[in-house]
Amino acid sequence: MGFKLKVEGNSTIELDKEIITGVKIKTDIPQDSNARSTDLGSTITITGKVLTAVDGDPFDSTRQLGLWALVPAENADCYRKVTVEVISASQEVRKYTFPNAFVVDYKENYGDLEGTGTFTLIIKQKKDKMAQVSVEGGYSIA
Amino acid sequence: MGMRVNIEGSETVSLLETSITGVRVGADIPLDSNARSTDLGSTVLIEGKILAPVGGEAADDTSKLAKWSLVPAEKADCYRKVKIDVVSASQIVRQITVPNAFVVGYEEDFTDETGAGTFKLLIKQKRDKMSNLKFEGGFSEE
Repeated sequence: MGFKLKVEGNSTIELDKEIITGVKIKTDIPQDSNARSTDLGSTITITGKVLTAVDGDPFDSTRQLGLWALVPAENADCYRKVTVEVISASQEVRKYTFPNAFVVDYKENYGDLEGTGTFTLIIKQKKDKMAQVSVEGGYSIA
Repeated sequence: MGMRVNIEGSETVSLLETSITGVRVGADIPLDSNARSTDLGSTVLIEGKILAPVGGEAADDTSKLAKWSLVPAEKADCYRKVKIDVVSASQIVRQITVPNAFVVGYEEDFTDETGAGTFKLLIKQKRDKMSNLKFEGGFSEE
């Protein structure tokens, strides 16, 4: 499966299938509810590699993710539009759009055994804007 | 064993044995009760695969599950009728009908190492409608 991540804010961050290794999407609902709860949230966890540029290629934009994670809450730029696509066999399996996403966690990990670093980004949609979240998928891409 | 899940609401979701990998059904009763408690609930966990359509077939219904998990509590459509069939050797081992089910947890997991994603759907029967839950089985498949 291949993934595409696009983050649109003051600047645009695009990460492709070479970088992203996994995507986890979770709907957060209190599990002790007796009937459908209004307390609804959604979380996306994205894991990937931090690659080193070789042969004069431009550096990947994972550093921009780290910078986004550090934007203070007072700055409007902390909310960005995130699109996550899952692609397999020329089919768009999923396309998630979070128009007001913010970072709740960002981690980078480096060791002397690997040639690449890894990152984990956890984002949430602003809870009062949950109705704007869209889920599409199941169509072929040209 | 094969498992089939059918969900009826504003739209019908039908998932067959090719996509469902596991079903767990349980009764939620306070474990610290001294005598039979009236506080009775039921939770159903459904696990399965998110398959990418090949050869021009239609996409599976899993994206409808993701959309159902995001339906706000103010809409009647957040409660749907769920029917689970456990089929083995042309026998219906169990047929569980949860007529007023709502979502308490939904997760999707995709990695670059597998060709199919996975989902986990956790649903509950509306607590005040527990008597409508049907637990049947032990008859042959028509």
